[in-house]
Amino acid sequence: MTTPTTPGIRKAVIIGGNRIPFARTGGAYAHSSNQDMLTAALDGLVARFGLAGERIGEVAAGAVLKHSRDFNLTREAVLGSALAATTPAYDLQQACATGMEAVIGLSNKIKLGQIDSAIAGGVDSASDAPIAVSEGLRAILLDLNRAKTTGQKVKILARIRPKDLSPDAPSTGEPRTGLSMGEHQALTTAQWKISREAQDELALASHKNLAAAYDRNFFDDLLTPFRGLSRDSNLRADSSMEKLAKLKPAFGKSLGDDATMTAGNSTPLTDGASTVLLASEEWAAARELPVLAEVVDGEAGAVDFVHGKDGLLMAPAFAIPRMLARNGLTLADFDYFEIHEAFAGTVLSTLAAWEDEEFGRTRLGLDGAFGSIDRAKLNVNGSSLAAGHPFAATGGRIMATLAKMLHERGRVDGRPARGLISVCAAGGQGVVAILEAR
Amino acid sequence: MSAETLLTEMPSLSKLYVNAAATAAKGRLLRSEPVLALPSRAVEVRGVRADLAKVTEFSHLMGEAARDVLPSGYLHALVFPVAMSVMVQEDFPLPLLGMIHLRNQVEHLAPVMFTDELSVRAWARDLTGHRSGTQVQIVAEIHNADGTELLWRGASTYLAKGVFLPGLDKPTEAAIREDFIPPAPTAQWRLGVDTGRAYAAVSGDFNPIHLSVLSARALGLRRSIAHGMYAASRVLATVPQSKPEHFSWDIAFDSPVFLPATVSLEVVDSRTDDGVWLSSVFTAWNARAARRYFHGSVSAGGSILAGGGTRQEGKQV
Repeated sequence: MTTPTTPGIRKAVIIGGNRIPFARTGGAYAHSSNQDMLTAALDGLVARFGLAGERIGEVAAGAVLKHSRDFNLTREAVLGSALAATTPAYDLQQACATGMEAVIGLSNKIKLGQIDSAIAGGVDSASDAPIAVSEGLRAILLDLNRAKTTGQKVKILARIRPKDLSPDAPSTGEPRTGLSMGEHQALTTAQWKISREAQDELALASHKNLAAAYDRNFFDDLLTPFRGLSRDSNLRADSSMEKLAKLKPAFGKSLGDDATMTAGNSTPLTDGASTVLLASEEWAAARELPVLAEVVDGEAGAVDFVHGKDGLLMAPAFAIPRMLARNGLTLADFDYFEIHEAFAGTVLSTLAAWEDEEFGRTRLGLDGAFGSIDRAKLNVNGSSLAAGHPFAATGGRIMATLAKMLHERGRVDGRPARGLISVCAAGGQGVVAILEAR
Repeated sequence: MSAETLLTEMPSLSKLYVNAAATAAKGRLLRSEPVLALPSRAVEVRGVRADLAKVTEFSHLMGEAARDVLPSGYLHALVFPVAMSVMVQEDFPLPLLGMIHLRNQVEHLAPVMFTDELSVRAWARDLTGHRSGTQVQIVAEIHNADGTELLWRGASTYLAKGVFLPGLDKPTEAAIREDFIPPAPTAQWRLGVDTGRAYAAVSGDFNPIHLSVLSARALGLRRSIAHGMYAASRVLATVPQSKPEHFSWDIAFDSPVFLPATVSLEVVDSRTDDGVWLSSVFTAWNARAARRYFHGSVSAGGSILAGGGTRQEGKQV
């Protein structure tokens, strides 16, 4: 009699990544579909790491704004790529944390020995967004489909009213509050008393850091040009505090003079796609592929934002302390912090909460404040304010970027360089992760 | 080629069709002496670029992801006005309108990017007799901007039905009609009546036989038919799964796809023992009538076109 042998926990590593430059909505990718962009990112990854004909353990990716015809978006992208057709794939969606969740879920499968290799990804197009027929027209069309006689059909068609003909476009509004993400963040930004100047400074640093990273060719092996674009089109290398100061508030206008959030310190709607190649150490070694970083841990969190107890985008403020405690780490043990810049206010509110004694005691159950970070370690190669934020693609962008930064850094004080990622998401959610250099 | 006509810009297909119609009418009125030889000139256009919006629409119509590399079918559409210009020359011996597309043989030598500036050159060859008329081959080549590298070469064989030119030998024996026994289909296409209009919109080929029942009837067909290149492009969207840099394909059209249509397809791949794709053969037929619509093959590398050769002996599949 044989007993099944389950392999123990092993390590999951990041080999590299590939994305296409992100484009402001209506720009270079205005007519590109999610399928086009995800395929382009995947083609580039396959070419970079010589994966043609390779059967990958699993590919997981997703899009936040997705056409119903794209129900198998990721599998279709695999079938259109040079990967072996025997590579399985699935779609997932956790709003702006989609790419993060893809990396963590696939890493866990690698750690458990269920698969040896994986590709995580994400894509979003705000330009080619799905538009549905109105709810009224949808009900009528479905009834029409079920009708048997001409008389029934005529009766059903007669129910159509002019208002039924206006299409239903997706919005960034929260279904339970009716507030857009920006309006939610405006409340949080005001709650934590984040100044306009602090937000503009963060936005400016994002543009300067991203531009500098491009200038030293940091993204050369992380990016494949697409549709004539070789840099993120939202990047403004010549931005300045003066220019940012001139912008009028875009969110929280009801706050009057306290309205601080502008188009400059908020991410624009963006199109783009990203992918990350994950594997076991053995798989990478057998193919002589580089290993950039190890996926140490990850966690998804959520907050009760509906009646305003916590800000919509504050879940990572809770998830990170829990994850670090589990790993016996503090903020001082990290060399890089990648806090997704949905809005400058999101990053600064999170940092303010961690530095707040009362928040630490009453909300995190600590003895005092959770801690503060060295701002020189924050988003050092720029983040979403400069690069843009194609919702599901942001996680993959950050994972690959941080993995490369950690690999370049190598060791710090005798230990591998360590990085922390925080990505907030709609629905009061967030996904966070720890990476270590290899 | 002894001489060349260099066009300063890509000719307009709609004007070419109008010219062809005018030439046809003039020919009927004047009953001029038939021309018996092909013009020896090639037609060339330089500085050609893809229209990115059209490339995207083209790929989406075929159900494939739009890439920066141009699909083979789009390249055919890109060179088509130049090929048409060859056929509307005054001394071209066959009438353009009503010609039947028999076959296409294409070799891709290198990927063509949407940003590439290209030179396109086309000429006619192989004017030969056919049991039901006269056939001719139009060869089109795409080179890089300075003409130093051949990127793509296609040969389209057309039949002018009922046109018999003196001095051209007709094949004496009729082609053997083998009974077609449909295999088990691996795919099915449901083509609506708008298929021709949709392909015309992305390819620019507004030949009336594809557009509507009425315009097709005006040219003697009972209904409109799908473009042969729509069929070829749609097969190529999925065969092979991922395109090698150098590949060739060949399609022969057996019967017109009258619209609307349900097309059954069988695709058979051959691979190495390691699973590397070598080639695919495909056959399509009318699901209801068991009549073959078209068949062909796609192969990695390979030159199914003998450069400049006079005889076309494409691979039979």
